[in-house]
Amino acid sequence: MNLYDLIFYLFAAVTLLSAAVVVSSKNIIYSAFSLVLTFFGVAGLYILLGADFIGVVQILVYVGGIMILLLFGVMLTNKITSVDIRTGTVNVLPSAIAIGVFMGLVTSIMIWTKWVSLPTETPLTTTNELGKLLITEYVLIFELLAILLLVALIGAASIARRDKE
Amino acid sequence: MSGLKQYFKDSWEGIWTVLVGMKITFKHLFVPNVTIQYPSVRVPMPERVRNRLYVNMDDCIGCDQCSRACPVSCISIDTVKSLPSEDLGVTSNGKKKALWVTKFDIDFAKCCYCQLCVFPCPTECIYMTDVYEFSEYERGKLLYNFSTLTPEQAAEKKANLEKFNAEKEALKAAAAAEAAAKPKIEKPQDKTE
Amino acid sequence: MYEFLTNLIGNEVLAWIIIAALPLFVVILPYALVAIWLERKVSAHMQDRLGPMITGWHGWLQSFADVLKLLQKEDLVPAEADKKLFNIAPALVFTASYAAFAVIPFSSGFIGSGAEIGIFFILAVSSFAVAGILMGGWASNNKYSLIGAMRAVAQIISYEIPTALVVLSMVMITGTLSLEKISAMQTGYFWNWFIFGGPEWGLTKFLLIPFMLVGFLILYMSTLAEVNRTPFDIPEAESELVGGYHTEYSGMKFAMFFLAEYANMFAVSAIVSIIFFGGYQSPVGYLGDLFGVSWLIPFEQLFWFVAKGLFFVFVQMWLRWTLPRLRVDQLMNLCWKYLIPYSIANLIIIGLISLI
Repeated sequence: MNLYDLIFYLFAAVTLLSAAVVVSSKNIIYSAFSLVLTFFGVAGLYILLGADFIGVVQILVYVGGIMILLLFGVMLTNKITSVDIRTGTVNVLPSAIAIGVFMGLVTSIMIWTKWVSLPTETPLTTTNELGKLLITEYVLIFELLAILLLVALIGAASIARRDKE
Repeated sequence: MSGLKQYFKDSWEGIWTVLVGMKITFKHLFVPNVTIQYPSVRVPMPERVRNRLYVNMDDCIGCDQCSRACPVSCISIDTVKSLPSEDLGVTSNGKKKALWVTKFDIDFAKCCYCQLCVFPCPTECIYMTDVYEFSEYERGKLLYNFSTLTPEQAAEKKANLEKFNAEKEALKAAAAAEAAAKPKIEKPQDKTE
Repeated sequence: MYEFLTNLIGNEVLAWIIIAALPLFVVILPYALVAIWLERKVSAHMQDRLGPMITGWHGWLQSFADVLKLLQKEDLVPAEADKKLFNIAPALVFTASYAAFAVIPFSSGFIGSGAEIGIFFILAVSSFAVAGILMGGWASNNKYSLIGAMRAVAQIISYEIPTALVVLSMVMITGTLSLEKISAMQTGYFWNWFIFGGPEWGLTKFLLIPFMLVGFLILYMSTLAEVNRTPFDIPEAESELVGGYHTEYSGMKFAMFFLAEYANMFAVSAIVSIIFFGGYQSPVGYLGDLFGVSWLIPFEQLFWFVAKGLFFVFVQMWLRWTLPRLRVDQLMNLCWKYLIPYSIANLIIIGLISLI
């Protein structure tokens, strides 16, 4: 077995196990921290696939930003003294059906898509190409996303300030 | 506009004052330090420093004045009278010693270093020294015995005195008995006169 | 050495991992010990004291003595703490600060990973430290720890923005994220450093100098805040929060937090020196060039890199003993009302200048 394969399986195992903890853990804090690990595993997989920029962005955005916000939300909305930060399981059957359908869809796509396999070589950096594509081909989407984020930002600020008036 | 001007002024001041502060602290890097490395270097004590008491037993006459002056009762003194046959000598300032000091204990766990015991001493035999490192792991060890007499000697002196007293008492009793006997004989004579 | 290890182990990836990771690990621990000793001596002499003097010459063995003491200490876990997270947190924090060293070029001959995304990677992995701090603070089940962790996270996340903006402006000039390439660009003499406008001569160089200075100040301040050092040390403010997020930690776990702090100090100093002060480049040329001994050059570069890094670590200590601690609102004011507007303006101006 190649060492790269080993590393791949390591990251895959980390991702899957932590994802399992995310959904199965009764303690929501554990779920949140396992999600950090899941994102880390996914970032590792991205980097192994040669998408270094995406991998690092995954860590920066999800671990550094979204996860921390999530943890903040969980910690601040619950009383710390009474450890009542628990999750439960409801509607098992509908969710099982939905997940089954979704998994079937994903698997069928995986099977029916004709994957192009590239020869293994040291992947080049993607940062330059990504930057060029974002500013040329996908500039409209890029700008729209920027405006969307700005709208969200203004909305959050206005909601937070409403009480003062 | 003035708000913007103030903003830039504030930013500049923020950086500038930090630099001023850094200059000051940098200068202090080269200021000779004030540390005294205590166990190896000691601060010389002032002349009249009040620390551990010392009793010069050669001069002590056992007058108990220090013990009575002590506000926390940390000095305890026992004395035994000397026999007339014994000569205890004189103190350095010429006072004649008449008492055996069988016990002179100072409990430094209690002592408050007020120096009140020093002033009443007629012979200036109790005074404060500059010794300040005498901590102990047990409180009992802070009880200092200054008496020059060993417990056996003290017991001996006591016994001597008791013996002497007893003898004196006996003599007295004998004298008294004699004296009592005499008037009994002479009384009738007086009455008759 | 790489060839030797490849032959020894028979696997190039494993050999590369060892050669990249081992020297760092061997270096970081003694560095942290020296830095802790330096901090004590600097703080002492700035306050006209002497600091540790008994253990070794001017107390240079004091940190070793402390490590021995910490190793012997009982590993306490509070009864009400969340034991799993409590034990993971210090390792996570230390891993994050250690991972940042992977992409820092110590000299042209030694760099853990020449990854193209270098500086971006450092910004990303430092967020793991945030997760670790939050984990430790929450798992301790102590109000001081939790408040400290909350403050640390709020502070680090806020100050990541000016850091990223300054880094972005530098990336615009250099056109690369790789710290190795940024260092290599500033070769030659000290006027080729980016603080003096970069290696290219012309009008832009002189136009850039004031904005580089502003960028440097912003980067230095915000990285200082990211490593929770005074005057931005409200997460572990001793007078308010006992010890902040590591209040409940003892023994080696506490030592790991401490080690991470000092490793972080060097990491951010290294980033500042790479981006603005030429990284491993010598300011005055190399002895190796002078005498024609080419193998000497990487060692000289290592010397210059460590010297620059330690200088900025020293400045951090200098600031610590100069300034009092900021209040929480002042801290947020500084970040959102001063550093971020300035860094955005700086970004735009540098962008415009680089277009000329």
